[in-house]
Amino acid sequence: MGKSVTAFIKKIAPKLLYFFLFLAVWQAVVMVFKIKVFILPSPIAVFQHLLDPSIAVQYDWWHHIGATLMEVLVSFAATAVVGIALAILISWSRLFSQLLSPIIILFNSLPKIALAPLFLIWFGYGFLPNILVAFMIAFFPVIINTSAGLMAVEDDLLDLVRYLNASKLQVFMKIRIPNSLPYIFAGLKISATMCVVGSIVGEFIAAEKGLGYLLRDAQAFIDTPTMFACLLLLSAIGLALFSFIGFLEKICMPWEHVQVEK
Amino acid sequence: MEKFARVSATMIKLGRFVRRSVVDNYKSILVIVGFFLLWEFSVRILHTPEFVLPTPSSAIAHLFFKQADANYNWALHIRTTVYEFLIGFCVTAVSGVGLAIVIVWSKRFKNLSMPMFTFINSLPIIAIAPIILLWMGYGIKTNILIAFLVSFFPVIINTMTGLDSIEDDLLDLVRYLHASKLQIFLKIRIPNSLPYIFSGLKICSTMSIVGAIVGEFIASDRGLGYIIINSQYAMDTPPIFSALIVISLAGAALYWVVALFERLLMPWAFKSQKA
Repeated sequence: MGKSVTAFIKKIAPKLLYFFLFLAVWQAVVMVFKIKVFILPSPIAVFQHLLDPSIAVQYDWWHHIGATLMEVLVSFAATAVVGIALAILISWSRLFSQLLSPIIILFNSLPKIALAPLFLIWFGYGFLPNILVAFMIAFFPVIINTSAGLMAVEDDLLDLVRYLNASKLQVFMKIRIPNSLPYIFAGLKISATMCVVGSIVGEFIAAEKGLGYLLRDAQAFIDTPTMFACLLLLSAIGLALFSFIGFLEKICMPWEHVQVEK
Repeated sequence: MEKFARVSATMIKLGRFVRRSVVDNYKSILVIVGFFLLWEFSVRILHTPEFVLPTPSSAIAHLFFKQADANYNWALHIRTTVYEFLIGFCVTAVSGVGLAIVIVWSKRFKNLSMPMFTFINSLPIIAIAPIILLWMGYGIKTNILIAFLVSFFPVIINTMTGLDSIEDDLLDLVRYLHASKLQIFLKIRIPNSLPYIFSGLKICSTMSIVGAIVGEFIASDRGLGYIIINSQYAMDTPPIFSALIVISLAGAALYWVVALFERLLMPWAFKSQKA
């Protein structure tokens, strides 16, 4: 355990260093060129808006973070479950594949983000339209990656197990699904970012809470430090989800991890 | 004469591509046509109110005929959006591929910048749109910049990956043959990266449209995104669907052009399929 902690610190230290270097350069640029705060706030001003109780209290950060976080998490869970399940269905049965694939391709070529205002008309303000927008955007990378992974099995391997009288279920459980794991996780990583994007765009268009809403609201008041603080929080949410999937990936596919470390 | 022959050979290739993309996908086309027919008839039979779900025919009619409820100057709005995402796409394609080549030229620079690009790519870039709006004000330029920022990173990451994923044996071989760095780039690295570049450009083709539309959502007085948001305020659903149809067609067309270039520039990749 101690070993993995030091390895983790070793891995994360240079990244943190870059991050702080970036903040320092940003701060220096703002101070040297005396850039006005409404054009580009200094990182100190941004963090003040987030952390200084006397300023932060105006914004009720937790309220907005909670709203966005819930949208992101619900839509992500939905894309993961529905995407993987549908992909398995499609590769399981030819009929499903022929019925569903053209519709999936049709929707995939549609710029889903443009559906957001429509969902608003259908479902009214609130969580549901935002979750749906995020789901629509983030759903396709998962289903497309998963079905690619389920299909990308070596023919020789399939011939071998067919020769050994493996049932279709066995082929799926022992070969196709393990084989598709790297594809699934790659899809989930794209989906994680897309879920954040979808929730934000939904909140841009109409919401009364959430970081996307706050971003737009702050823009109306030319409150640039708050906008950057929102940007920072949104990036943090995206990164947290992204690294969580990376963590799951390592647990589910220990063999890949070993290979990389060699 | 030779030039003519070359041109006509290209034309034949083009014709074959068009024919094949129709013939190969006839089942998909049937399902899609079926989907639209089902939509049309179920709306008519169930008497769904138009503000909930209009028929596809009514959405198309809004594009071509004057309507009682809302009249948009469709040609102007379509031109604006197409202009935004085409410029966004072209700038991304040229700068993304070009910058990737420059970066991969120096190994150290590549090792430094690649983690940064993948990191930025994992961030929700679209959140920067309101800040860009604040800096640059309303207008076409803002939307082009948003489209560019959203679609840039997939292209540069894919191109760099493609330029870098060369078999070591091949590189050893040409080094042994005293190939210069320029020759390695022109004859090995760039041709090898073409599939990666094209898959990056395909992502870019959809992302640049997304960027342009979101820019128009947030602030603009023209463009298809503006029509969608404006119709939403008025609860006037048919123009939303008309705009969606146009956007999808434009997206499909751009994607298709990228696929066409892919066929023309990498004929070898499609030869093996035929056999």
